[in-house]
Amino acid sequence: MSDSAFLKIERLKKSYDGVNALNGIDLTLAKGDFLTIFGPNGAGKTTLLKIIATLLKPTSGGVTISDYDIEEHPEEFRNSVSVISHQSLLYNELTAKENLEFYADIYSIKKPEEKVAELLKLVGLYERRNSKLSEFSRGMQQRISIARALINEPSLILLDEPYSGLDQHSSMLLKKQLVKLHDDKRTIILVTHNLTFGMESATKVGILVKGKVAFFKDRDEIDDDNFDDTYFNYVGGKTI
Amino acid sequence: MKNIITIIKKDLKMEFRKRESLTSMLFFGILVLVILNIAIGTGQKIAPSISGGILWVAIIFSAVLGLDRVFSNEKENRCIDGLLLSPIEPETIFIAKMTVNFIFMIIAEIILIPTFLVLYNSAVSFENLPMFIAIIMLLNLGFSSVGTLLSAISSGTSRNDIMLPILLFPILIPLIAATVKATSELLSGSGVDKYLSWLYLTMAFDFIFFGSSYLLFEHVIKEG
Repeated sequence: MSDSAFLKIERLKKSYDGVNALNGIDLTLAKGDFLTIFGPNGAGKTTLLKIIATLLKPTSGGVTISDYDIEEHPEEFRNSVSVISHQSLLYNELTAKENLEFYADIYSIKKPEEKVAELLKLVGLYERRNSKLSEFSRGMQQRISIARALINEPSLILLDEPYSGLDQHSSMLLKKQLVKLHDDKRTIILVTHNLTFGMESATKVGILVKGKVAFFKDRDEIDDDNFDDTYFNYVGGKTI
Repeated sequence: MKNIITIIKKDLKMEFRKRESLTSMLFFGILVLVILNIAIGTGQKIAPSISGGILWVAIIFSAVLGLDRVFSNEKENRCIDGLLLSPIEPETIFIAKMTVNFIFMIIAEIILIPTFLVLYNSAVSFENLPMFIAIIMLLNLGFSSVGTLLSAISSGTSRNDIMLPILLFPILIPLIAATVKATSELLSGSGVDKYLSWLYLTMAFDFIFFGSSYLLFEHVIKEG
């Protein structure tokens, strides 16, 4: 894992009608880091991911990736980032293959049919490639969503509550897929309420409270046995 | 250009698979034409000054039903975020969606206009046909550009089916009025000089509203 900064977030603020959703976020991640961000509802987790994904503009502060400011170079940035959320971002009326081919065309992927077949095999749904998205279970839709997110071979993957709405079995399958995604080439930011799944894959752990990073440590420095208490202590309002 | 075609192909594939928009547009348009025909008296030849209005009432009200679908597909599963996260520009999405609305209107008009001509004993002479097509295209361009922008706005509201016509019709009044006048003159067999000024008005409307819709779309489709 490289020590140089890959993703840098500096003094990031976002307010809606005078209410601060993000209150000065500073974060630095190296290539290959897997950051899990925990936090209660309304802590600003999704807002943070939306700003990194260029779906929202910050009120002040900035995000740089590989020294590129995302506001100055949004197109280049979007080529290297993907989002997996509890929404699939896929069309119910199209088949799994058609959905992925659509995104392959949008990202100008060379040999799109081969790429789509490779990704469907990766998520174990190649045999169901001609089924409509609406015919899949929630867990299967999430696996196609992972294939969609990998179509542009992103160097940064943002995961917004990907376990939301999944049963235990589907959550376990998803966790295995996420572990497979994590290698030295990809930086991953996961936002979740699920302490167990969130801790398992992380190399860095953060807790967001009231729009501020209240806790940020390397995974190795965290005592698993006491993390529940630590989390509830911070969510209770204490900040560093 | 490639991305515009990709989005259009995807939208048309979804529509022809479900046929929700086109079926409701055609059914509603034919229903309006038939009801008005019964009210006026079947088989009677009506004054061209009235027939232009009847034709466009049927087309425009049915077209509103199609406008709604173009963005409701993107709202499902937050697909619009998938498009906004990709390297394509919001303006590309606008042109693609506007073209889809334009194509839906053409398909509806291919059925509704002949139905109108038969029901109301109207005819467009061969020499007036190019001008009639020009009037239709100008209306379609203005309607689909404003309609695309406003359906993007209304798709973010909880009652978008009600919000869309409330926002749309006040803005479209100059375009609809000019188109109805031009069509009525054309159907009455008047010379081009009688309705050319109305055509200029629709062109001006198209120019202003296509331009402003194109420029505003990014601000409408993206969150603050």
